[in-house]
Amino acid sequence: MLKTALAGLRAHMFRLLLTSLAIMLGVGFIAGTFVLNDTVQAGFDQRVSADAGKVDVAVLPKGSGAVLSERVLERIRGLDGVTEAQGLVRGAAPLIGKDGKTVGNLPTTAVSIVTGPLDRADIVAGTGPGTDDRAAVLDDNTAKAQGMRLGDTITVLDAGKAEHRFKLVGLLDTGVDQELSFTGAVGFTTATAKRMTDFKGYREIDVAGTAPGLKQAVAAAVGDAYTVKTGHELASDLARAAGVETQMFTLGLLLFGVVAMMVAALVIYNTFNILVAQRTREMALLRCIGATRGQVFGSILLESAVVGVLASALGLLLGYGLATLTLTVLGAVDAPLPTDAGAALSPVTIATGMAVGLVVTVCAALLPARSATRVLPVAALRTHAEEQTFRAGLLRGLFAALFLVAGSGVTAVGVFVLEPGRNESLLAVMAGGSLTFLAVLILGPVLVRPLSVLVGWIPGRVFGVPGRLAVGNSGRNPKRAATTTVALTIGVTLMTLISVVTASTRLTMTAKLDEQFPVDYAVMDQERDSVVPRSVAERLRRAPELASVVQIRQADATIDGRHVSAGTFRGPVEPYVTAGSMAGFGPGQVALRDSDAERLGVQVGDSVRLRTERAGTVPLKVVALVDGNQGTLPSVTVAEAAFETYFGAVPDARLMIRIADGVPRERAREVVDAAAAPYPNVKVSSAAETRGQFDETLDMLLMIITGLLGLAILISLLGIANTLSLSVHERTRESALLRALGLTRRQLRAMLSVEALVLGLIGALVGAVLGGVFGWAAIMAMLDGALLSLPVGQIALFVALSGVAGVLAAVLPARRAARASITGALAAG
Amino acid sequence: MVTLTERRTAPAVVATDLTKVYGQGDARVHALRAVNVAFATGAFTAIMGPSGSGKSTLMHCLAGLDTATSGTVHLGDVELTGLSDRQLTLLRRERIGFVFQAFNLLPTLTAEQNIRLPLEIAARQADQALFDRVISTVGLTDRLSHRPTELSGGQQQRVAVARALISKPQVIFADEPTGNLDSRSGAEVLSFLRVSVRELGQTIVMVTHDPVAASYADRVVFLRDGELVTELATPTPQSVLDTLVKLEA
Repeated sequence: MLKTALAGLRAHMFRLLLTSLAIMLGVGFIAGTFVLNDTVQAGFDQRVSADAGKVDVAVLPKGSGAVLSERVLERIRGLDGVTEAQGLVRGAAPLIGKDGKTVGNLPTTAVSIVTGPLDRADIVAGTGPGTDDRAAVLDDNTAKAQGMRLGDTITVLDAGKAEHRFKLVGLLDTGVDQELSFTGAVGFTTATAKRMTDFKGYREIDVAGTAPGLKQAVAAAVGDAYTVKTGHELASDLARAAGVETQMFTLGLLLFGVVAMMVAALVIYNTFNILVAQRTREMALLRCIGATRGQVFGSILLESAVVGVLASALGLLLGYGLATLTLTVLGAVDAPLPTDAGAALSPVTIATGMAVGLVVTVCAALLPARSATRVLPVAALRTHAEEQTFRAGLLRGLFAALFLVAGSGVTAVGVFVLEPGRNESLLAVMAGGSLTFLAVLILGPVLVRPLSVLVGWIPGRVFGVPGRLAVGNSGRNPKRAATTTVALTIGVTLMTLISVVTASTRLTMTAKLDEQFPVDYAVMDQERDSVVPRSVAERLRRAPELASVVQIRQADATIDGRHVSAGTFRGPVEPYVTAGSMAGFGPGQVALRDSDAERLGVQVGDSVRLRTERAGTVPLKVVALVDGNQGTLPSVTVAEAAFETYFGAVPDARLMIRIADGVPRERAREVVDAAAAPYPNVKVSSAAETRGQFDETLDMLLMIITGLLGLAILISLLGIANTLSLSVHERTRESALLRALGLTRRQLRAMLSVEALVLGLIGALVGAVLGGVFGWAAIMAMLDGALLSLPVGQIALFVALSGVAGVLAAVLPARRAARASITGALAAG
Repeated sequence: MVTLTERRTAPAVVATDLTKVYGQGDARVHALRAVNVAFATGAFTAIMGPSGSGKSTLMHCLAGLDTATSGTVHLGDVELTGLSDRQLTLLRRERIGFVFQAFNLLPTLTAEQNIRLPLEIAARQADQALFDRVISTVGLTDRLSHRPTELSGGQQQRVAVARALISKPQVIFADEPTGNLDSRSGAEVLSFLRVSVRELGQTIVMVTHDPVAASYADRVVFLRDGELVTELATPTPQSVLDTLVKLEA
C-alpha cells in the first residue's frame, strides 16, 4: 500500500502542490512569529548581558514611585568589599525642540550617566558627559527626529520650568528600556541630573565589588525596604520585562497564525475530499483486487502525512525567510527592538511548526479518508462518476438550528446582559460568534444554491449564456462549494469585524471627545501641572477672535488623609451636575466628582474637611456632584476666591478655548500660539489634532490587522483555485461539448471566471454579514454607550476584492480548460 | 426507396484530398489518406468502417472540430481549412448541429434549456413553431422540465437530436448516436433522424459501426485505413453487413 500511496502522490502532484502551499503559508507564518520572538528576546538578552558584567549588585526600591535616599547610598559605600557604588537619577526634564516648544507629548526623561566601571550607558556617537556639568547626551532617536547634532547647544527645562543650555556631546542608545525609548532621554552628570529634576532620591543603586557574599552584605546593610539583586539577576529581569511586550505581540501574531491554519485545514479537507471522489474507480479497483478498508484508509492518511511533513518543512524555511525579512524591515525603520541578533530556527520552533503542519493536515484528511473506505468494489465497473447529489437532511437542519440558537443566545448575553467593557462580555460574544460560525459551516451546503442564484443574478445577465451556465455550475456540488467559500468567509468575516469595530470605536471616541473636549484648543503643560502663567489667559480673553477662555487651576490637598486634586475654574464651564446644584457656588461650598464622592462616602448636603498646606483644614459643604466622565472640572472643585485663600496665587493648569463664530481656524490658532509662545512648556493642542492622532493610530491598527488577515484570504484563494481546477478536470467532456456547440474559448474562460466570481462573492457576502453582526456585538460588549458605524464602503471593497481575487484564482484553471482540444476530450472515456 | 441526392445540385459538405496525420517520424499515423467525398443536401448519409478506419476523424474534420493536415473541406460555400479557432467556433454555432454518443447534455440544465442552448449561445431567437413541432415529433412534450439525470438514455439522445435540429443547421453530425442505447431506444432515435430528413429536409451525416443503424440512411460510405473504399445506396442491414465482411476480409 505504501507504493500505491506514493504513486498517488506523484500522480496528483499539482493538486497537492496547491494544498502544500496552503500549509506552507500557515506553518511559515507561525514559525516566522517564533523566530521573530526568539531573535528579539535574544537581542534583549545580549544587550543586558553586557550590563550584567559591570554591575555586581543592584539595589532597587520596592513599589512604584519609591526611591533610594542618599543615606542608603552612603551606607552601601561604607561597606567592606564595595569598590564603588553609584545612585542612578531619573526624572522629567523636558527638552525644547527646534520649534521652541517642549518635545513630544510627554517630557523627556533625564538620566544620570556615571563614569567609571559602573557606566552602563550605551553611547553610540561622541562621548558621555563625563564630569562636565554643562554637557549632555540625547538618545539617538530624539536627536534624529529633532535634527540635533553633536556640538549643538540644546535647551532643557528644569523642574521649575527654567531653561538651561547644554552642549550636546554624545548620542545614547536607550537599549531595552521601554520607558526611555517612549519618552526620549537626555543624559547628564549625576550632579546636573539631580539639579534638573525634582530630585527626591535614586531609582537604583549599582554596586561594584569583589568580596564574596556581597549581595548578602548589601542586603543586610540596606534592610528589607529594598530589593537587592546580583548583576545577572538584574540583567535577566530587565530582559524579561523588555520581552513582555514582545511576547504579547507574539501571542497576537500567533492568533493570526491559528486563523491561517484553520483556513488551510478547510482547503486540505476539500482537496482530499475531491481527490477521493476523483479516484473512486481507483479505490474501487484496489478493493476489487483485495485491499481492505483499513488499507485504503491508511493509504490516504499516509498521503496526507507525506504532504504535511514536506509542506511543514518548506513552511519552516519560509518562516525563517519571513522573520529575517521582517527583522530587516524593522531594523531599517528604527523600531525600538533589537533586531541585530542572528535569526535562528530553534528546536522548539521546528518541533512546533512540524507538529502543527502535520497534525492539521492529517486531521483534515481524516474524514475524506473515511469516505474513501465507503467506496464499493463494484464502483470500479461503472463507466463514469455520478453527479454528486445533495439533500438538506433533517439532522443537518437540526444541528444548524441548535448552534444558531446557542450562538445568538450567548452573543445576546454578552451584548445585553453582561456589563460592557468587561472581559467576560467580549468572551461571550466571541463564543457566540464561534457557535454561529459553526451553524453557518453546517448550513453552508444548503445556503450555496440560493446564494449563488442571488449573487449570480447580475453576472448571469451580463455574461449571457456563459454567465448562466457558470451560476448553475457554482451550486452544482454544494458541499464542495460550501467548503471552498467558507475558507474565504473566515478571512472576510474577521476583516469586516475589525473594520466595523474600528469604525465604531472611532465614532464613539469622537463623540466622547466632543463631549469631553468641547473646545477648539487646549493650552497646557506636558505634565498637566499648574504652571501656565495667568497672563496667557488674560491676554487670550482680550482677543476678539476667541469666544471664550476657561481657566482651570489645580493643587494637591487631602480629604480625610486621601490625596485629592482640588481646583477651581474661571470662565463658562459646563459642569454636568448629576446631583445638587452649582447655582450661587461660593466660599464654603464644594462640588465633587461623583466617583470621588462615592470613594469618600459623601452625598450632597454632607460636609468634607479639606486639608491644605496654606489654610489648614477647612470644612466644606457638598452642594453638587458632577459627572466624572464628562466635563472638565477637577475632582474637588471650590469657588475661585476660596481657592486662592487656600492655595495662594497658583498658575493655571489648563486653558480651554473656543473660537468666535466666523473666525477662520488659522487666524485663531495664530492668536493662541502667539500668547503661548514665550513659554516653551506651554503647549497648544487642538481637538482636531487629538482626533487626527487618534484616527492615525486606528488607521494603522486597521491596516496591520487587515494585512495579517490577508494571509488567510490568500490561503482560501488557493482553495478556490484548487476547487476550480478540479471542476475543470471533471467537466472536460462538458467543456468539449459546449465548445462543439459553439462556445468560443473566451466564453469558456468567462464561464469559469464567473463561477469563481460567484464562489468568491458568496464567501465574501456571508463573511460581510457575519462580520457586520459580530462587529456590532463586539463593540457593544467592549465599549459602554458604543455607537455603531458600518463602514459600508470598506466592506463593499472587501466583497468586491474577494470577487476579483476569485476571478484571479480562476485564471490558470480557465486557461487549461480553454486550451483543451475538443476532439481529444470527446474521445477520452 | 428513392434517394433524393439526384434532385439536389449543391452538396452540403465536400471533402477534397482530405488527409490527417498524427504524430511525427516513425510514430506517424495516417488517420485519413486523401479522402474525397461529398454529402448531399437533404440526405441522410452514414459513414461506416471497422475500428480505427478513421471515421470519427473524418467527422471531426468535416465538422470543424479538428483541422486537417492537408486537403480542403467545404461547408456549403465556406472553406473550413484555414479558418481560425474563433471562426470555426462561430461556424459551428451557426451552421452545424451535433449528436454525440454520450455526454450530450449539460447536467445542470433542463431538457428544454439543453435544447435551446445552441440558439442562446448564438443569441438567436428560437422558431417557436419549429420548436413545438420538433418537441412533439420526438415525444418530449411532457419531459421538457426534467434534468438529464431524470431521463432515460433514449430520451437523452432524443433531446440531443432535438437540440441539433432546433437551430436549423446546414448539416447535423451524429457520432454513434445509438452506441449507448438498447435496440428499441436506438430504433426510435434513428427513425426520428430519418423523419427529420424526410419532413424537415435536414442534412445528416452519421458515423456508426452498427449495420442496422446504417440501414436507416439513404447512403452509406465505407472507410478502411483512412481511405474511402466503397459506398452503398439504399442500404439494408444485410447489404451493409455483407459489404463490411468483404472489407474486413
